[in-house]
Amino acid sequence: MTSNILLACHGLSAVVDEKPILHEIDLEIPQGEVHVLMGPNGAGKSTFGHVLMGDPVYEVTAGDISFDGEDVTELAPDKRSRAGLFLSFQAPVEIPGVPLRSFLRAIMEGRGEKMKNKEFRKKLQALAETLDMDPAYLDRELGVGFSGGEKKKVEMMQLLLLQPKLAILDETDSGLDVDALSVVSRGMELYRGTCDGTLLIITHNTRILEHLNVDRVHVMVQGRVVAEGSADLIAEIDANGFERYEAQLDA
Amino acid sequence: MGTHALTIKRASAMPAPTWHFLKMNDTQIEIPEGLAVAPSVKVSEPWRARGAADEFDNALADAQEEWEKLHPEPTPQEREELEAFTRAEADATYGGTAQSNYQIGADALEEARSLAVAFEHGVGEEAAAYLRFAAGERVVVQTDPGQSVEAQVVVSAVPDALSVAAIDVVAGRNSSVSLSIVVDSPDVPASAGASGFAGTTVRVFADADARVSIVRTQTLDLGFTDIDDMGLFAHDRARIDVRQTVLGAGSTFTGLAGDLRGDSANIVVDTRYLGHADQEHDFNYVLRHHGTRTECNLGANGVLAGKSSKTLRGTIDLIRGAKGAQGSENETVLLVDEGVKNKTVPVILCNEDDVAGNHGATIGHIREEQLLYLQSRGLSKDDAERMFVGAMIEQAAIDAPDEESRAGVLRLGETVIPGFAELFEEEA
Repeated sequence: MTSNILLACHGLSAVVDEKPILHEIDLEIPQGEVHVLMGPNGAGKSTFGHVLMGDPVYEVTAGDISFDGEDVTELAPDKRSRAGLFLSFQAPVEIPGVPLRSFLRAIMEGRGEKMKNKEFRKKLQALAETLDMDPAYLDRELGVGFSGGEKKKVEMMQLLLLQPKLAILDETDSGLDVDALSVVSRGMELYRGTCDGTLLIITHNTRILEHLNVDRVHVMVQGRVVAEGSADLIAEIDANGFERYEAQLDA
Repeated sequence: MGTHALTIKRASAMPAPTWHFLKMNDTQIEIPEGLAVAPSVKVSEPWRARGAADEFDNALADAQEEWEKLHPEPTPQEREELEAFTRAEADATYGGTAQSNYQIGADALEEARSLAVAFEHGVGEEAAAYLRFAAGERVVVQTDPGQSVEAQVVVSAVPDALSVAAIDVVAGRNSSVSLSIVVDSPDVPASAGASGFAGTTVRVFADADARVSIVRTQTLDLGFTDIDDMGLFAHDRARIDVRQTVLGAGSTFTGLAGDLRGDSANIVVDTRYLGHADQEHDFNYVLRHHGTRTECNLGANGVLAGKSSKTLRGTIDLIRGAKGAQGSENETVLLVDEGVKNKTVPVILCNEDDVAGNHGATIGHIREEQLLYLQSRGLSKDDAERMFVGAMIEQAAIDAPDEESRAGVLRLGETVIPGFAELFEEEA
């Protein structure tokens, strides 16, 4: 059954500065599922997330990406976003001069969602509470002076506000303490619960997956998807690491 | 009786000029004929902080006495030795050197050994004198040692008039003054196309260990011209913070000069500006480090849209003897539209070995990694750059120190972005 495939990459290869970095990736994510992309550091996982989002730093040299039934391979990142793709950045940027609240309003208005101001403020207030975030952050410049944990909460806040069809979470768990990790997990659950969201979680750490029902795991090594399987793969990788996949590729 | 037409030439001049053909060494202020002098200044301050008219001059005279004791005039022999050393150094480095007009003037200023003569106004003495004349009675905010005071001066500009306030802040030892200056044109209907002139001239004397904070918020209608003049004097370990938010007026002239005379004195300037429509902004900053271990930090953050233009001159002067001094200036300008013009001139003058001077400017469009982030949230490049215009006004509303400043920002915001005031309706 392929009718409910939300994201599909076929033979996707990409280069950065003419250096090949992704090789013939085939990957499909049906709507409503939770997929995990695992692999050692430097395997190309984050690159894959950025290529899916349309980061112009990378050039797609072969293959295609279809999303929600449309070929988005040539689409600019803002158009992919408006089509329902979301990338949570591993290291969200700081944008001095733009209060978080202004930014959140701009991204909502950018997709034609005009909300009465009172209603919008109420919504942000509620989201801040859900994510254990001091509402004072809403009046601060985006990301400026935010801790790593606060930055990730802001990513979660956007996820819950925009409710995209597919969210790619790039190492959202990296550098977080236990409390921040539980807030991020709560954000993911809420996203899944409120809009039947689809997730592609990029990680090399299995802890963030403990509270999720993972449907499928993809293993990436040296820019190639070398294994796929059920959630059982997570425990196997947790116990044995990626060595056997690396060895398999080197052989 | 109204004003006579007047052209103030060489206003806001850089101390050490660059090439004249660049047309950025100074500016010119045109005062039109026939403006009424309007009594449109409201002062709100505790009665105990109201100082006498000559408070500032007396404080500077006292500081002069102290300074002379600590810095006795060199004996003829010492002077001769210093001159010989300077000559030898110049010969060794450059094979001898001729002094520029600026250097000759700067040397003469130091030789005068007068704090009053050295005291400068950012827009220049002629423009400051005109503002003093137009303002009439001076507002004097004065604190005794250890006292803490908050004050507010509101200039409500009216059409076809000159609305000016002259303010002295004299902060006693270890005292604290917070001053909010609001320059707005609240009663002008947006459609009226009214014109007028507004301005403030501020002198600050911060005695040893004093803290002075000044926030000036300018939200005039586009038909108005604004002159924001400041002259600062910082004694030992004094700290002066100035935040200037420049959102309105068709033409603005912002000038700030500071004398970091006391050891470990510190001046921090935070300038935020928005250029839209045909606005023309001119900024001039001159910070002179005399004291040892003095620090200054000039930060400017602006967005230019429409056909607006802006010139910013920032001069940090590290004078001989200011050992351990550090001066830093940094500007970020976002150019939203093709029709904007931006000129940025950072200058570090240095006549002392043991100092640090830094400058940096980021001018252009949104950085690539920021743009990708914003695009990944669905904003096009145009949407993203527009967002910065609204965000500049919104940040000003969030940071407004009082209701009057905020009301001005919301009023102006509404003229730039219809519906803006509604964003703050819960707080308004």
